[in-house]
Amino acid sequence: MLYINNLTKNYGSFTAVNHLTLHIPEGDLFGFVGPNGAGKTTTIRIVCGLLRASGGLVVIGDSEAPIGSREMKRMIGYVPDFFGVYDNLKVREYMDMYGSMYGMYSRDIAKISDDLLELVNLSDKKEVYVDTLSRGMKQRLCVARALLHNPKLLILDEPSSGLDPRARVEMKELLKNLHSMGKTIVISSHILSELSEMCTSIGIMNRGQLITAGRIEDIMQQLSGGKRIHVQVISDMETAVRFLKEQANVRVESVRENEIIISGGGTDEEVSALIGRLIQNEVVLTGFYREEGSLESLFMQLTEM
Amino acid sequence: MRVHINPIVKKDLQVTARSMRFGWGVFAYEMVLVLAFLLAMAFIQSQSNSIYSDNNIYSYFIVLFPVLAIAQVCIVALTVPIITASSISGERERQTFDIMLTTCMSPFSIVVGKVISAVIRILFFVVAGMPIMALSFIAGGLGWSNLFYFVLTIVLLSVLSGSIGILCSALCRKSITAVILSFAFYFVIYFITFVPMILKFVWTKGKSAGESMLFLLANPFVFFEEFFMQIMRGESLFGTAGSNFSRQEVGFLTYHLSQGKTWLFLSAACLFVLSLVFMIAAAWKINPMHGAVGKKVRK
Repeated sequence: MLYINNLTKNYGSFTAVNHLTLHIPEGDLFGFVGPNGAGKTTTIRIVCGLLRASGGLVVIGDSEAPIGSREMKRMIGYVPDFFGVYDNLKVREYMDMYGSMYGMYSRDIAKISDDLLELVNLSDKKEVYVDTLSRGMKQRLCVARALLHNPKLLILDEPSSGLDPRARVEMKELLKNLHSMGKTIVISSHILSELSEMCTSIGIMNRGQLITAGRIEDIMQQLSGGKRIHVQVISDMETAVRFLKEQANVRVESVRENEIIISGGGTDEEVSALIGRLIQNEVVLTGFYREEGSLESLFMQLTEM
Repeated sequence: MRVHINPIVKKDLQVTARSMRFGWGVFAYEMVLVLAFLLAMAFIQSQSNSIYSDNNIYSYFIVLFPVLAIAQVCIVALTVPIITASSISGERERQTFDIMLTTCMSPFSIVVGKVISAVIRILFFVVAGMPIMALSFIAGGLGWSNLFYFVLTIVLLSVLSGSIGILCSALCRKSITAVILSFAFYFVIYFITFVPMILKFVWTKGKSAGESMLFLLANPFVFFEEFFMQIMRGESLFGTAGSNFSRQEVGFLTYHLSQGKTWLFLSAACLFVLSLVFMIAAAWKINPMHGAVGKKVRK
């Protein structure tokens, strides 16, 4: 559905997006993850035609239309992270305005708008002024607005940003609902727990580069050998760190007050033997455990690299 | 037949009509016209020595039209740049502009929509002021066609002012900066079109302006002067049959254009083209893809 090849964006000598290549198949719910300044929003803005790329290619569906063309824009529904609304404009009129911007006629917009407002649970707010809606309602309205022209691809930049927990749950349910209806959705977010519950695949960006992308289970599987081990030490921390650093297949990820986090170590038996040798070196341990694979741990691991 | 109205025009008019500011704006506009009318009447009154006077003061009523018309022109010239200068920058400040750019509306449609909505808003004011303008018909000597042409000139001025405002709005991030820049732009256009003529006169030591006067075709002030001269005296600013100048003083082209109404129509066309240029420049500026060559995808 969305094919990005070698996308680059430079601001002078600073590279915001560095030769990004990504393919998102149709029907996917793709999570775009990365720390602040990773280049996610820049990538999204390029795809939506809000920013000119320095190089590369973006293709949506089977279209040969260039980025920013009318044909391309018709295929994308965009929900930005920050958006404003107009004073003195009702929900119904708001939808009518944006529908008209896609070349739709008012009668057609009214029909589709009613269905969409029902989908986002705003059908009772049709005659309400948009600026009086709560943040969560405005966000849902923005999603409805983005779906008016039946786009092939829905892109949401930080959709849960600024929402209270209830509104976040409602947004998550809405997106799952849309996904079940066959929509291809790209979400950029910092709320990893939500993404791991919703997304079928993810892409992790850092410093303008795509570190990894694919189905969450595949990435976890790929990096399972690197699942981190937490070793809890109460004495001789320096001895323990020195010993672990000397081991060939072990990498010390971080050292905290009473805990050393390592990656590698090999199989469970090899790790057990390693712990045994550590104890023999008169290091006093209170325990150790292998980290459960989660999007957070994956994110922390990959963005530290 | 389905009619597709520019969605920005529709939205702007809906939002404006619901705002109290619009009502107060019409009120203020009417008050200015009433003030102008009263000042004109005071002038007319002053021409009479006493209440029972033999002076034919009714001939002075003819000043009502230019006084009211100039008042309206000044209001339009001041108001429209303020409306349009905050149009694009206001959308940016409200964070509604990005979504607008992701729709199928072209940047030029957005710009044209903003200018048209400003023109329509001004027309509301002009129509609201028509009863006061109609008082100038008491004196007679003015036809309905004059009023029609006057409205057309207001529309032209609104389009020019609006296009200047929208260009400044596209250039500036903040509305206040755009408003200041648009007034500065306005004054530059007014004065810069005189510069070639002044330089030519200085160069020739006051003997000839040559074709440098053609730059005045793009001067709104000269256009309105020409318009009022045609309405009030039925002659050009350059005198009957261009008699204010000799062929030696102005160039061949300027001399012939100053005959009859040619200058007026040509100047209107120039101002309209100038407006289009500003609007195209504004559309180019707001287009995030400007400069990019749309490349066909090869898979």
